[in-house]
Amino acid sequence: MTTFIDLDVRPILREGGEPFEQIMAAVAALQPNQGLRLFATFKPTPLLNMLGSRGYTHQAREIGDGDWEVLFSPAAADTVRTEVAAAPVAATDTAQWPEPSVTLDNRDLDPPEPMVRILAALESMSTGEVLTALLCREPIFLLPELTKRGHHWCGGFEADGTTYSIMVQVGSRRESTQ
Amino acid sequence: MAGVTLSRWTMAYFAMALLALLAAEVLMTAGYGYPQVPVGAPATLVLVHLVVLGWLSLLLCGAMFQFVPVLVAKPLYSMWLCLPVLGLLVAGLIMLLSGFLSLGGVIEPVLPFFALASGLLVAGFVLVLWDIGLTLWNARPLALPARFIVIGIASLAATVSFGAIFALLLGGVAGGFTISRLLVYGLPLHVIAGLAGWLTLTAMGVSYRLLAMFMLAPEQERVSSRAAFWLGTAALAVVVFGGSAAIVMNRAPWWMLLVGALLGLAAVALYVHDMMHLYHARKRRKIELNSTMAMVALAFLVAVALLIVVLLGMGQLTHHIAAVVFLGAFGWLSGLGLAMLYKIVPFLTWLECYGPVLGKGVTPRVQDLVEERRARKWFVLYFLGILGALATLLLGASIGFRIAAALMLVATVGIIVQLVRARRLDDVPSSVRFPAGSHRPRLLMALIQPR
Repeated sequence: MTTFIDLDVRPILREGGEPFEQIMAAVAALQPNQGLRLFATFKPTPLLNMLGSRGYTHQAREIGDGDWEVLFSPAAADTVRTEVAAAPVAATDTAQWPEPSVTLDNRDLDPPEPMVRILAALESMSTGEVLTALLCREPIFLLPELTKRGHHWCGGFEADGTTYSIMVQVGSRRESTQ
Repeated sequence: MAGVTLSRWTMAYFAMALLALLAAEVLMTAGYGYPQVPVGAPATLVLVHLVVLGWLSLLLCGAMFQFVPVLVAKPLYSMWLCLPVLGLLVAGLIMLLSGFLSLGGVIEPVLPFFALASGLLVAGFVLVLWDIGLTLWNARPLALPARFIVIGIASLAATVSFGAIFALLLGGVAGGFTISRLLVYGLPLHVIAGLAGWLTLTAMGVSYRLLAMFMLAPEQERVSSRAAFWLGTAALAVVVFGGSAAIVMNRAPWWMLLVGALLGLAAVALYVHDMMHLYHARKRRKIELNSTMAMVALAFLVAVALLIVVLLGMGQLTHHIAAVVFLGAFGWLSGLGLAMLYKIVPFLTWLECYGPVLGKGVTPRVQDLVEERRARKWFVLYFLGILGALATLLLGASIGFRIAAALMLVATVGIIVQLVRARRLDDVPSSVRFPAGSHRPRLLMALIQPR
């Protein structure tokens, strides 16, 4: 039987804040039989996909005044197995990724500082480790550099349209600086 | 692959554009063209096309090949086309200038210059439209800045169409009655579609995104920005379609121009309002020289709008139209262009040189590539030169205009030296200039990193 931990991020959103880190922390703290009941001021579509790829199913419903309640439940083990059998694992299947070991909030930095910090952090991380970062725009010059350096990434705008969140897994094909 | 890479030939576009600007300023200083000779004289036409085609259009094409992909977060449809396009446009410009020189009797018409100019410029700009158009098409639905560019390149198509017809008429290739009326009445349509549509709307669209990026301002689509877009589009549509219809129906297009001017002034007011909002809502408190100078250029756009209103009120607009065009081309468009170059050149150079080694050791910051204190005086001198030239144009003191043009020339050389220094990383301390693994940028060509 799944029990649900409540997380209401509406006050943060109304003040113009970004609850991504709280949500990720809450998800990381969930026990195997626990789910998350999330309250938000919009339907958090990218989050649904992101947690979906981490093995959570969701039920979203509008609860009035434009607010949404989303129930994230851990998918039953057999369901996950069926899905995995049905769909080949994509190159950026974040479900297989470990918990992020580095979290950056780069939204208030002057460009190109966000790109520099992400690349610098990745250099200090070991193969397979995951970094998450929040940015205030799509890092279009960073993405080719990540690919070139052999990292895997997955990113997109959140539903508010102003915050871009990206997850990067350090790849095994590390370039030398020479 | 997602993301955007460097455009290989953008620096070559910028270099050709700056050479054309220098050439135009040398000619103005030497007393060539208006105000020494009439507005419509061949010498003035040489000067005007050197500025709008050679300098502003090449600058904008080079910038679009790099920044339209940035605006829409999709790669350029064809990077390969950029160099042949540059060749076609430069060759077309040379043919066009030769055509005007032959009209003035300076050179013999040894070649059908105007016909060649039409063919080369139409081919070059059609390829620009194709490349940028397909890049935008692949990125639908488009955000507002990109939609400005759609109208900008549509205006480019109109400008080039009018221009090609004029060139064929001047070259004696075409000569029907209706089409000849175009040369008499269609000139304002050509000028407005070019300066207001192609150059200004595109610059507006790019600045909505780039200024927000450089000043760290929120990029929300505002009602006023959408209104500016629709008013600007309507203004262009009235001038190009309404004006052409009037000419074909044997009427002068003045009413259409007036309606277009009113719509356009409203669009400019809203755009300036939006830029002021970006400036006030910015998170970066201490803004860089390029943003300050872009704001000065914006003030010149306001000045253009006010000058049009005042001259219209005094019934003097046609008498002083050269001053209005000068202020628009040099104060607003060239001012903005030089200010943006002062950001774009160091940024692209930094990305090209240090991109491969970012995070792997100590790398200079973008700001380390420039010395703002040194560049500021040249920008100030440039804008003072513009004010002086404007005053002499309005008051009719042509020797004063040449002195002001000399100031602009000196200032432009000063700014170009700063740009070359940034490109060559001359202002970066030599100990950190080229860390192991960095790419040494070439002056005119970006190295595309192998994947």
